[in-house]
Order: sequence, then C-alpha cells, then structure tokens
Amino acid sequence: MDWLRSLTRQETTHSRFVGMLFLTVLTLVITIFLPPVADSELAGGAAIAIVVLGLSWLTGWSGQISLGNSGFMAVGAYAAGIWAHHHASTPLVFTLFLALVVGGISGLIIAVPSTRLRGPYLAGMTLAFSAAVTPIAQNFTSMTGGEGGLFFNSLATPKWFLHFFSGPYAAINASAQWSADLAVVVAGVMFFFMANLFHSRTGRAMRLVRDNDVAAELMGVNLARARTSAFVVSAAFAGLGGALYSLLQASVRPETFPIGLSITLLTLMVLGGIGTLSGAVIGGIIYAFSENLVAHVNSLTGVNPVSNVGANMQGMIFSVLLILTMLFAPRGIVSLKYPLQRLFRARPLSRGAKEVH
Amino acid sequence: MHNIFAGLSQGIIYSLVALSLVIIWQSTHVLNFAQGAMAMIATYIGMTEIDRGVGYWWCVIISVMVGMALGGVTERVLIRPLYGKPEINPIVVMVGFLGFLEALAAAIWTSTTRNIAEPFSQIYFKSNGHLVFLSSFVIFQIVLAIVIMLSVAALFRFTKLGLQLRASALAPEVSRLLGVRVSRMLTIGWILSAGVGAIAAVIIASGNFGLFPTNMDGIFVASFIAAAVGGLESPLGAVAGGLIIGLGEQFILAYWSPDVAPLGGIIILVIALMIRPQGLFTKTTIRRV
Repeated sequence: MDWLRSLTRQETTHSRFVGMLFLTVLTLVITIFLPPVADSELAGGAAIAIVVLGLSWLTGWSGQISLGNSGFMAVGAYAAGIWAHHHASTPLVFTLFLALVVGGISGLIIAVPSTRLRGPYLAGMTLAFSAAVTPIAQNFTSMTGGEGGLFFNSLATPKWFLHFFSGPYAAINASAQWSADLAVVVAGVMFFFMANLFHSRTGRAMRLVRDNDVAAELMGVNLARARTSAFVVSAAFAGLGGALYSLLQASVRPETFPIGLSITLLTLMVLGGIGTLSGAVIGGIIYAFSENLVAHVNSLTGVNPVSNVGANMQGMIFSVLLILTMLFAPRGIVSLKYPLQRLFRARPLSRGAKEVH
Repeated sequence: MHNIFAGLSQGIIYSLVALSLVIIWQSTHVLNFAQGAMAMIATYIGMTEIDRGVGYWWCVIISVMVGMALGGVTERVLIRPLYGKPEINPIVVMVGFLGFLEALAAAIWTSTTRNIAEPFSQIYFKSNGHLVFLSSFVIFQIVLAIVIMLSVAALFRFTKLGLQLRASALAPEVSRLLGVRVSRMLTIGWILSAGVGAIAAVIIASGNFGLFPTNMDGIFVASFIAAAVGGLESPLGAVAGGLIIGLGEQFILAYWSPDVAPLGGIIILVIALMIRPQGLFTKTTIRRV
C-alpha cells in the first residue's frame, strides 16, 4: 500500500498544497462572477475532470488504457445514489468517500483478471464491462430504480450560504454557485492527491513499468501489483467523479453512463494532454463548455440544433478532434507550452557559452 | 434444443465478426474497435439502395463493397501513420473512429431502428406438429456464415494471395526481401476483414435485431470476447470462440437469470483466461511480463 502513504507524503507536499489551494480559491472567486448557468456547467466539468484525471493517471503513467471508466462512474454514482436515496441526511463527504471506495473495489474486481491482459485485450475487457453496466442497472430494478433511476437531494444549499444572495432568483443562483463551489473544492482535493501520487515513489515506479517493464521488474517492482493498483486508483477516481456528477444532477439513471461517455472521457484526456494535471483541467473545462462550443459551431454552420445533424454534432466534433489530436499532436493541448517555453528561453549564445566551460 | 439452435445462430454471427477481427489482428496487430461501426455504415448505405428499389442481394453486394472500400481507406489513412507508435495510439484512434461513425450514422439516418426485409421467412418449421426451432432464415444465416468462413479459409490456404498474406503477417521483413509487397498485403487484410464484417452486419440487420447506429456495439463486444477466448491469433479459435459465447449467453439467459446475461460474456472470458491466458486455440507462447 505504498501509494496510500504517498498521498500524504511530507517532504514536497507543502508547496503542492499551497499551489492547489491557490488555484482552488482562484476558481471559487471566479464562480462568484460567472452567471448561474456557467456555474452549473463548471460544476459538471469539475466532476468530469476528476474522472479524466484518473484515466490520465492510468494511461499516462502506467501505460494501460481503459474504456470502462464510464462504467466505474456508474458504479460510484449508483453507490452514492442508493446510499443517498435511503440515508438522505448523510454528510456529503461520507457519500463521496463511499463512492470512491466502491469504485475502487469494482476496479479491483475488473483488474485482477485483466492484469494478464495488455493493451487491446485490456481495452476490450473494460469496454465489455462498461457495455454491461447499463443493462445491469436497468435489470436490477429493486436497487437501482430501473429505467426511471433514483432521485435524491444531497446537495441542498446551506442556510448561511443563501444570505449572500438576494433578488427574485436568489435560491436558484445560490444553489448553482453552491454546487459549483462544492465540485471545485472536491476536484481541488482530488487533484492535490494525484499531484502527490505523480511525484511519489509509486509514480516513478509506474513510469518505469510503462516504459520498460523488464527493467522495472529487475528493480524490484511487482508488475502485476503495480498495474492493478494503477487501475484501482483510476477506478476510484472515476467512482468519485461519477458520484459527484450524479449528485449535481440530483438523480442517477442507466442512460447517464453510455459507452459513448467512455469515448468522451478518452477524448478529453487526449485533447488536454495525457498524464498531466493541467491536461485534466483543460479536459474538464472543455467538457463544461462543450455545449456552448457546439451551439456556436451549429450557429456558424447554420445547422438546426434540434435536427439530427445538430444533435450529433458534439459526437462528430469530439471524435474528429480525438483522431486528429492522436495523429498529429499526441501530447495534446498541454504540449503547446513547449514552443512557448522555447520562445522565452535564454538566448542560444549565452547557453552555448555555459556549456563550453 | 431451442437454446442450442438460438445459441448457434447467434454464435455464428459472433464467429464471423471475431474472424474479421482476427484477420486484422494477424496482419497489423491492431484491434479494430471501429469494426462493428464500419460494417454498420456499410449496411446503412446498402439499405438506402434497397429504399431506391434494388433487391436484397444487390444490397448485400453493395454493403460488402462499401465495407471493403472503407476498410482499405481506413488502413491507409488512419492506421498507416501509427505503425511503430505505442500500442495505445491505434486503440485511441479506432475508438475515435467508432464514435465518429456512430454519430455520423445517427446524424444522417436517425437513431430509430430499421429493418431490412429478410429474404427468407423467420417462421419456425414444424414437423408432426412440433416446432423445430429452425426457420429458413436461421438456415440461411448459418449457411451463409459457413460459406464465408470456408472461402476465407480457402483464400488463405490455397491461393498465392493467401500465401503472401500469411507470409507478411508472420515475417514482414523476410517477405519484403522475397518480393511481397507487405504494405499492400496489410491493406488487403483490412479490406478482407471489413468485407467479412459487413456481411455479418447485413445478416444482423435482416433479422429481428434491426439496424440502428449503435446496433453493432454489443455484437462487437461479444465478438471481441470470442476472439480473445480463441486467442486473437487463430481464425479457428475465433470461430469456436464465437460459438462458445453464443451458446454460453443463451444458456445463461435460459437457465440462470436474464439479469446477469449482460455479464455472461465477461464471465466466460475470465474463466477462459484463467484456464489458458494465451487463448484456447493459440500455439504461440505468451509474452512473459
């Protein structure tokens, strides 16, 4: 359980904590100025960013790929949903923690037979899992509520928060901002944990597993355990993100988590930049405002948004972007920083002088 | 008895799609996640020709031709730039292609289920007043699938093209030295595979299942499991795997619980992997990690 300890490591945690805290507070301040609609979109984006981060860890750091993270989202969402449905007064932190644990356990169940599988086998196996989740949720009606799904209201805005708002739409505005702030804080905490994991002993070992598994084994890394734990962490993040996502919507239904969502997650990860924190943030932002983007494209091209073409515009744009990014810029939007860095780097002459002596 | 026929007729579809996956895997070591979607698009194009008044058999031929063309173009445009890259890259690209084709089909033809009028009756035969659980459509389905499999086998076994295909899959460098145009062989592998997939999709669209943009998702998953049970390397294993999955799903549905049926394929795959991780029908040694 090395990775568990690494989540609260002491040496360099401090600076990362300050950085994450700064970014979280900055985003919270931004939510004050955003309109309520944008706030709720941002909340959904923050939930998705957590899932994308988990997937990014799996793919970027351990070299595995999963098409099952929409399934793990569903597992976490149903775990939280079933609990919140029966125990409405549970603190949110506990519900989310439950989703994290249940998501991780479901990841473990899928991972143990899959650790023998590499690349395409693992992708296919996880695809089979996420394909099975929707019918399972539809079939076990007594627990999941079947097609209709479950409804709950765990994100009720606290009284003290309402005081900041006035006017005829105070309640709605307050609720939108409360959910956005909550989602941003949860995402901040999860990003902080993942930042530590990236820079821990486990993170370094994981990169070695990805790049050269024989060398990793010679260094004493247990390959099967490393791959399994990477998978479990990824599934736990997906479970928590899925739970947060459905808590924001105050309901969970089988068709919230289609296979297509796994493709969307993959797209967001690749677009942002595989294996990076900022890539996952970019992915979340893209998701949050994708509907606006698509509406913009629809109005630019003159496509009727409620027509067939308009309704499927998002799917087409996302998949084309995924293919193009993978073919021409596999490191994603984050890799744009390299040309920028080169621009601001010290002059070649002075660097050459340094190298001489 | 009913379960055996139903399982076999479903399983042979899985076998066909699994066979098409194995052909691609053997030639280019890519698991084509868009295989089902490509076949779906080909079937839609064939179906629009039926709407224009051509007969069923023309629809089959058009679908297969379109499917083959799509397979060849896909290999040239999407897969060729990715040879030698990490194995995740082609997976991601093909998953993206899957998403694109499904969104495209929904945009053009809507998501409502359509049916291609089947060429043969689906009503079960009766003998001495008992249902036999076989219809002429089921027989057509099984016979067509077997004919396709045998012709693919014959192509690989007895023709010069088949020999070149096998050679470039087994030892690309040596084949290139001996004058086989390996890159062309890879494209031909994709064309063949997409054609086989398109036939399976047409059969599915002709039956009760119908045609809708995501109709091949479940089939693809089951066929992938079938190919994985067989070991991904072996065409014979793919066919056997398909039949095993078809029968297994049917028996789980009939004797255990319909609620767990969606998990049936995964359960079978896990059991098969525990028995023989390298696949039930493969001779190659597993990569030790």
